Amino acid sequence: MVQVSAAHVVLEVLAAPSPAIVQDGGRPGLMHQGVPPGGALVPELLAVANHAAGNPWHATALEIYGELTLAVRGGSLWVATDARAWFAGEGERIRVPRAQSACVRYLAVRGGIDVPEVLGGRGTLVSASIGGVEGRALRRGDCLNVGRAENCAERTLSPVTLDLAAPVRVILGPDQLRFDAKAGSTLLEEEFTVSPVSNRIGMRLNGSRLGRVDADTSVSTPMTRGAIQSPVCGELIVLGPDHPTTGGYPVVATVVKADLGSLAARQAGVPVRFRAVSLEDARNAWRCHAAQIMG
Amino acid sequence: MVSVKELRVAPLGDGALRITLPESVDRRAVLEVMRALSGVTDVVVSEQSVGVYFDPCAPPEDPSAVLEEIARLLPAVANRPLITIQARYNGPDLDRLAEYAELKPNEVIEIHAAVRYTVRVVGFMPGFAYLGDVDSRIAAPRLSTPRTYVPAGAIGVAGRRTGIYPFDSPGGWNIIASAIDFTGFHPEFGAALQLGDQVCFKPV
Repeated sequence: MVQVSAAHVVLEVLAAPSPAIVQDGGRPGLMHQGVPPGGALVPELLAVANHAAGNPWHATALEIYGELTLAVRGGSLWVATDARAWFAGEGERIRVPRAQSACVRYLAVRGGIDVPEVLGGRGTLVSASIGGVEGRALRRGDCLNVGRAENCAERTLSPVTLDLAAPVRVILGPDQLRFDAKAGSTLLEEEFTVSPVSNRIGMRLNGSRLGRVDADTSVSTPMTRGAIQSPVCGELIVLGPDHPTTGGYPVVATVVKADLGSLAARQAGVPVRFRAVSLEDARNAWRCHAAQIMG
Repeated sequence: MVSVKELRVAPLGDGALRITLPESVDRRAVLEVMRALSGVTDVVVSEQSVGVYFDPCAPPEDPSAVLEEIARLLPAVANRPLITIQARYNGPDLDRLAEYAELKPNEVIEIHAAVRYTVRVVGFMPGFAYLGDVDSRIAAPRLSTPRTYVPAGAIGVAGRRTGIYPFDSPGGWNIIASAIDFTGFHPEFGAALQLGDQVCFKPV
């Protein structure tokens, strides 16, 4: 395969009717400044596209929530959507259709999308207008530089487990005392469905309310991606990659790291069931899962 | 002296712990010591607890022992920088807060601007610093219906906390002023106000 310098190649956005943002592996380690770790909504799918394009799993790519049309300008390059990679020529139109089973899909280019690094990451954090292209969703006319394909290697595609129907594993607590005696069984026995009112800040779940023994207070505690918040009068919210770093609602349980992607990938209307696991099981699951994502 | 019982440690999923912090424990010290612990990738200090984050495959040792050490220390002398922020006290909730406090608006301004605040928490959104303690005479509760839009720079009060919104956002605090020449969050440098910093407002 001929190594083409992608230094002058640009992807022009021809049509962005649905949200699409530049996203990468995230900018961890900044929650003490109020900056959530961010990163791909579904890291497994980012890894699939990046591996296919010959990139490290976390290289900067496009996170696409519907359709997107791009044109290649100034040269040719390796592109991948999901696991399919091809060599796109100068002037070629890339029409990315809506993903079938997941709510999002990724388009990766060999060398990554070259946007300025902000606070250690290139992904978009819309609430702070940082990262990606001007901290916002892509618009028609945006031109995305493509990075140099350094340290890239042909990779065998690692199989990634993303079961969108499996029960989602959780660690129960830490706010059990703020819920009534039935709340735990409600969480673990009922079927919830993904609400269309879901985004990178959090996924809402339609379904049974959990019984609370106290009122909502204004005392906030530290939060994490995957924490399942339960307001008195509202439905469950599972915190996403751009979550507020502190929050006032009690946390009934937290999704284990290995299942964050398989929950986040579910489309609106899809069922969700939860299953409690031990810390040891959760960590073992992450050990295996991380190896799949990171290669 | 803080006992082990007061430092309740609970898992927050498989990649974090949440630990309750008694009042007397110095927050800045907690942040610095926790961040330096082997295996800890991030720390969030909130009003009554601290979150410690790590790779699930490499959890840190039980931080209780370290926290007990911190609890033995006296609170640090305020040697953090003092930041003076110019404020124009013309917020939409100033009159209403004055009514609530049974004071004149000018008196609310005097009381708010008289305090040397400490950054108690940095969180919720990038660069949002919760300053305390607001004088109890003007410690009005947050709005029952939050606004869908509060402009960046707005200075609000909610209970014993005050703060500056770093970005346009929804908000439920009582807006009494706006900050002049102040950027709460910078893309290059991050949060302008850090845990433990001292802040005062200068009416202009």
